[in-house]
Amino acid sequence: MTVRVADGVIFLEGACPVEDAEPLLLALQDCAAAQVDVSGLERMHLAVAQLLLAAGPAIAGAPEPAFLRDLLLPAIAAFAREQTVSGRSDADL
Amino acid sequence: MDELLTQFLIEGRELTADAHRALQRLERAGDDAAALDALFRAIHTLKGSVGLFEMKPAERMLHAAETSLARLRGEDALLTVGERDGLVAVIDQLDRWIDAMESAGRLPETAEATAREIVAEISREPGEPAGLPAPPPDWLSTLLLRPQFAGRLPAAGGTAFRYSPDTDCFFRGEDPLATAAAVPDLLALALLPAGPWPEFDEFDPFRCRTIIEGVSSADAESVGAAFRLVPDQIAVGRVGAAAAAPADPGAASQSALRVEGHKLDRLARLAGELSVAVHGLDGLAGRAGLSDRALAADLKRAQAAIENATGSLHATIAAIRLVPLAPVLRRLPRLAREVAAALGKEVDFVIRGENTEADKQIADALFEPLLHLVRNAIDHGIEFPDEREGGGKSPRGRVSLDIETHGERLHISLADDGAGIDPEHLREAAIAKGLVEREAGENLSTAQALRLIFAPGFSTAKAVSSVSGRGVGMDAVLAAVERLQGSIEVESTPGTGTTLRLDLPLNAILTRLLTVSAGGELFGLRLDQISETLRVEEHEIHAVGQGRACVIRGRTVPVLELATLLGKPGETTGAARLVVTEATGEPVAVRVGEWGGRLDTMIRERSGLLAAIPAIGGTAVLGDGGVLLVLDLPELLS
Repeated sequence: MTVRVADGVIFLEGACPVEDAEPLLLALQDCAAAQVDVSGLERMHLAVAQLLLAAGPAIAGAPEPAFLRDLLLPAIAAFAREQTVSGRSDADL
Repeated sequence: MDELLTQFLIEGRELTADAHRALQRLERAGDDAAALDALFRAIHTLKGSVGLFEMKPAERMLHAAETSLARLRGEDALLTVGERDGLVAVIDQLDRWIDAMESAGRLPETAEATAREIVAEISREPGEPAGLPAPPPDWLSTLLLRPQFAGRLPAAGGTAFRYSPDTDCFFRGEDPLATAAAVPDLLALALLPAGPWPEFDEFDPFRCRTIIEGVSSADAESVGAAFRLVPDQIAVGRVGAAAAAPADPGAASQSALRVEGHKLDRLARLAGELSVAVHGLDGLAGRAGLSDRALAADLKRAQAAIENATGSLHATIAAIRLVPLAPVLRRLPRLAREVAAALGKEVDFVIRGENTEADKQIADALFEPLLHLVRNAIDHGIEFPDEREGGGKSPRGRVSLDIETHGERLHISLADDGAGIDPEHLREAAIAKGLVEREAGENLSTAQALRLIFAPGFSTAKAVSSVSGRGVGMDAVLAAVERLQGSIEVESTPGTGTTLRLDLPLNAILTRLLTVSAGGELFGLRLDQISETLRVEEHEIHAVGQGRACVIRGRTVPVLELATLLGKPGETTGAARLVVTEATGEPVAVRVGEWGGRLDTMIRERSGLLAAIPAIGGTAVLGDGGVLLVLDLPELLS
């Protein structure tokens, strides 16, 4: 289990394979204002990344692997920014 | 000011910055046809613009530059060093004249003579401009305009891709992200929804609904190889020729609106006050819960809805306030050249990532500190050409400014390949100036010694030069960066060079606070100054010399009482709650009474009576309308 919820924060840790998509979806549906901490993330399946993209939660922490930290997370953050600018995210929330 | 002139001042500066960038690319690769085209377009547009004003000398100078570039394009010739210097002179001169148009409304008396000199330097036979390259396919032109790729596009010979994985690919055990991660030399990614997404409550996590786009500096063949198993789901295109400059720079800004900055500031402030006001409902719900649980639950729900909307409002305002740093940085290359020339040094100054976006407040406040750091690097860092050759280095020094974002942080590093800073020399100088006691000075770690450059009144330059001033400055730079809630780190290897790393927030509106109690009162500590919080037992804190310390993960860390620091009675409870900060360079644990909650709030600058108390970083308004004093840990501990 690499999706862990503690104190309103969803922690994504380790490899985060496709199986983690379901628990993450439930956690995000449970708490729309949740923060997602990715400090301990080592890998992430697109199914998991896709949920972060769709839900647009606040993301905290910088994971070790450069691909996640420098390429993937900035891409997710950029998408969230674009959504808020065009005002579409309000419907998603 | 005349509206037309105002417009010209903005566009003219953007175009000179474009021209500089194109010229830098040409310097790296003389046969970069796209860079030559971009340079030609910038010069050509500038010539048209200056024609609208009393700027005849500028027009003549640009005409000569345009002619010289047209010849280069016509003959497929490479840019010579002489031509490059001539073009740099044209662009720098124009930049100065744009400044003159802004400040004096006209060109200086000497403009005519200056233009004649420069024209003589670059005059060539006129040639016909060549046609523009063929336009890229639709998906590629859209991709190139995405903000995700701004400032990240490869110079030339790079590749862009659009990968639209099959909806059922997750069932087949594929991970498109792993496939994309295997692309060599990946520079940037964008994730996009493939069509409209369903409501989040009905989201099927096992269907792939995402498109992955990316750019790489590798060639199309190597990028295509990463997708060899999914040939039907991938489009690959070359980036470089037509793509390096957006096909139509106007397209992205067609519906843009120029808004005065102070109106946005006010909007941001109001949104900040709104989120504080919403916190007030916390207490109300609690009180309502004592008599009417249903009412309390309703209040909680209403509060959550307002908080959600406030969160979106904040995010939207923050996104609107993001501006590219390029306009702020555009004067740096010219000033760096002027500084180097004044000192008789040879320096290549390179900026990477200037299209990175940051909050307007951050962008506006960055110019002065960066200029100072660049001046310092050239003045104190880079050696004279003969010294460099004697040390086995190239006579031309190199100063590079790299800007990138990491999540919500802006990372700026300024690196030079100069003489470096000798920590021993700093220790000696600090002791000699009486800034530290001899014993304390000798015990400073290398990291602490390097931080001495930020001490007020500290200068290690042997000779005072006209450029960097007289040792005032680095403390001002640090203060400016800390005002923006940022930090600076110094790394230096004697003989090899120095790197300064600035870490700043991208969004400066809200500050995250941790509330703590000390001596029975509540205080706010900035979360960005806290590296961790932990609880230890009283007996784990030992007396060490005059003070107290405890061991945290194998390191001995001094422990100070917040209450004592504030002149209040100390804590007496059994377990000690510690807040560890590294804001002063080394970890220090501060013992507090209780931890309160986390709070996102706006900090007001300290003013009035509070301004006289150095440890107070500002104030924040609490949910119940009370005022929270926000402590500044580095100042409190210094």
